Amino acid sequence: MLRTIAARLVDAVPTVLLVLTLVFVALRLLPGDPALVVLGEYATQDQLALFRRQMGLDLPLPQQYLDFLWRMATFDYGNSMITQTPVAKLIGENLPYTIELTLVATGIGVLFGVPMGILAAVNRNRLPDTGVRLFSLVGYAIPDFYLGALFLIAFALNLGWFPINGGGTGFWDRMHHVFLPALTLAMVKTAFIGRLTRTSLLEVLGKDYVRTARAKGARENRVIYRHALRNAMLPVTTGLGLSLLATLSGSVAIELVFNRPGIGEVLISAIAKRDYPVIQAGVVVFAFFVVVVNLTVDLAYALVDPRIRVKA
Amino acid sequence: MTLNRRAFVASSTVAAAAVGTAGWTIPAAAQAAPITIALAARSPTGLNPQQTALTGGDSWAIRQIFDTLVKPDDGTFAVRPEDFRPALAESWESSPDARTWTYRLRRGVTFHKGYGEMTSEDVVFTFSRHLDPGTVTNQKALYTNIARVEAPDSHTVRFLLKRPDPLFNGSVATTLAANILSKKAFEERGPQRFNMDPIGTGAYQVESVSPTEGVLLTAFADHWAGRAAHPTVRVAFIADTTARTLAFASGQIDMIEGVRAPGWIPTMRQRDARTIFDATAPGSFNSLHLNLTRPPLDNLKVRQAIRLAINNAQIAAAFTGMSEPMVGIIAPQFAGSVKADDLPAELRYAPDPARAKRLLAEAGFPNGVTIPCFTSQREDYAAIMLIIQEQLRAIGVNLDMKIIDHATMHAENRKDRNALTLYSSSYPPVPTQPFLQQLLASAEVKADSTGGENYSHYGVAIPGVDALLERAQDEPDFGKRTALIQDIERQVLRDLPLLGIVTLSYVIARNPRVDIGYPVKSGYAYWPLNRAKKA
Repeated sequence: MLRTIAARLVDAVPTVLLVLTLVFVALRLLPGDPALVVLGEYATQDQLALFRRQMGLDLPLPQQYLDFLWRMATFDYGNSMITQTPVAKLIGENLPYTIELTLVATGIGVLFGVPMGILAAVNRNRLPDTGVRLFSLVGYAIPDFYLGALFLIAFALNLGWFPINGGGTGFWDRMHHVFLPALTLAMVKTAFIGRLTRTSLLEVLGKDYVRTARAKGARENRVIYRHALRNAMLPVTTGLGLSLLATLSGSVAIELVFNRPGIGEVLISAIAKRDYPVIQAGVVVFAFFVVVVNLTVDLAYALVDPRIRVKA
Repeated sequence: MTLNRRAFVASSTVAAAAVGTAGWTIPAAAQAAPITIALAARSPTGLNPQQTALTGGDSWAIRQIFDTLVKPDDGTFAVRPEDFRPALAESWESSPDARTWTYRLRRGVTFHKGYGEMTSEDVVFTFSRHLDPGTVTNQKALYTNIARVEAPDSHTVRFLLKRPDPLFNGSVATTLAANILSKKAFEERGPQRFNMDPIGTGAYQVESVSPTEGVLLTAFADHWAGRAAHPTVRVAFIADTTARTLAFASGQIDMIEGVRAPGWIPTMRQRDARTIFDATAPGSFNSLHLNLTRPPLDNLKVRQAIRLAINNAQIAAAFTGMSEPMVGIIAPQFAGSVKADDLPAELRYAPDPARAKRLLAEAGFPNGVTIPCFTSQREDYAAIMLIIQEQLRAIGVNLDMKIIDHATMHAENRKDRNALTLYSSSYPPVPTQPFLQQLLASAEVKADSTGGENYSHYGVAIPGVDALLERAQDEPDFGKRTALIQDIERQVLRDLPLLGIVTLSYVIARNPRVDIGYPVKSGYAYWPLNRAKKA
């Protein structure tokens, strides 16, 4: 297993390198001078030159690129150009909020999506199936930032059940703060998992071994939950991994709508201010998550289905 | 290593819980119903007034934490020498040539958290950082006229200037980056820690700073002007307009920064008629540079046509309650500005599309002309330029306009790539400042970004106002200097390299349960809350 993990991580190196290069190039192509943004209108030309020198922005691009790669390789993310705060600290303070949002949204999505998928599959072409399909359609169709605003107005402003902004302090307060944004993100996730579970389960329910199980007199619940569902969960597991990444990137807009702290909010702010070190580190964190989630999905796939053995 | 399904599920659950709860240790701030103000920014940049890239939220907190040597009356801008009041300095005097300014400091003023008495050493330290060419500080250009700052004794500070400045209190002493720092605290804590846990003499001291919860301030019991009326103030950071408005509407926030967009105030009033709007005047100056090196803008008749087509009053009316039309380059509230009624008839430019069309035809464009340009997507820029685009369309001038990211717009402007540059800036009430920044020949924009903000190339493409500005800057008498500035205003109205469009107020919506203790009439985009009370 360790060899498998190591092999997967080695596979990820070119991906990460490519991401780093793209980020570096994209930032340098992006119009906008960080010195102008930071120093503002009352800066003198000497000050602008001094700032560029201090931040290494006056160095030749190849040298900046190599410095950047070396810093990333040694986990030296540097300081924010705007606040001078260490970028690692900035990321460390905000990342837990994004992870919390992603996990709670995924949890809600699984909690409702899988049972809905089962309900639809076992009642194929009947009312519950139609209801689930309709819900999925709506869940996919509504943009999450719009849904978030509707939830805010309904549940936070009018009913006052939830706070309107912030991340909260302490476990229960944070859960209170995260619920509404997580519910927003969970809508599309529930729709996705519900549909996936339904399709997958319907496919499995038509297999020979399911017919055999029924023929030998197994109860319907046992057929569905013991025989069919486990096999049907294989594509759902893969889909879950992919949707986890989609939720992570979707959290950017939701963090803005709910004014939640988080890595997406940090990235947007850094892009607006051309804060290169923060943008670079933020993208590296996202790339890291892609690698880790893909690896986890690979491993989970093998664990859910004992027939599959991962070879290094 | 072997891993079965149950072990995997168990360990991943524990790992997820550990990651998810990693940040749950943030202590709950002791908040006894603070007065909460939310500004349009994402998180605190810094609370050191000399830190660069400060946002509006930072400025609000800084205003409460620090004091300047002198101050205007609360809720106003001090625009004449006699408008300033004592603060950290009890008295001050200027030499007859207005090149030496001496301040006598108030005795017994103490810094927060036991950092001792404020003395001239702290004042000299504060300004020396601005004078040091090797130190990057905020608003540096405002302090370039200071030759030296010295402390004859522990409670006297003397500024020696390169050129006369009869309004030194306005141009320097009351600016944001002139707030007095504690030398001892800065040296002990270092710039990074001081930036997030600064020591000043202000009515409030820093209790906590959090990227998520904002800045919590508590009243400083030993403040020289007496303890603040309310024990705590929280400066919150909510960048998203909808989230900020909802937080205000729900009552979770007492005051929010407004949106400088048409219709914002009426919409808020519709939501709750009791909402109070505190608006500074003038706020930002919005002016339009006409690039004199780009045809057809090099033709005076075209510029006159554009001036006659743009209806400033119509633009101001669109921003109900937060805008005033400008006549010249200086806002009507500031010394040096000119009034339309005092101008000769040919410089009044009352909107006249028919005459504008005639001028355009005389300039050789009877069928109209297309001018490519770009502006920022920020709501105030975009709204003003879209209205101008429509007004110019009426006389046959077609603005082929792109709306782009704000930072990109500034960078592209600095490379001299724009023909029509809308420029929005908030100035200290110093009559020379807008001209020095935007019309001086030496501030001419350059294609390699090394130039300044004279986007029209005035003074280079055609003769400008440099000589008049030189005279004004050498004039120690405030009244005479103001008269010279009015001459400059008239010259600019004749040449039309830069058109004053509208001022846009900085607006705060306030819940009526908070009484700030005075009316806000003018001033910078932040004001003191030491007299504020919450019902």
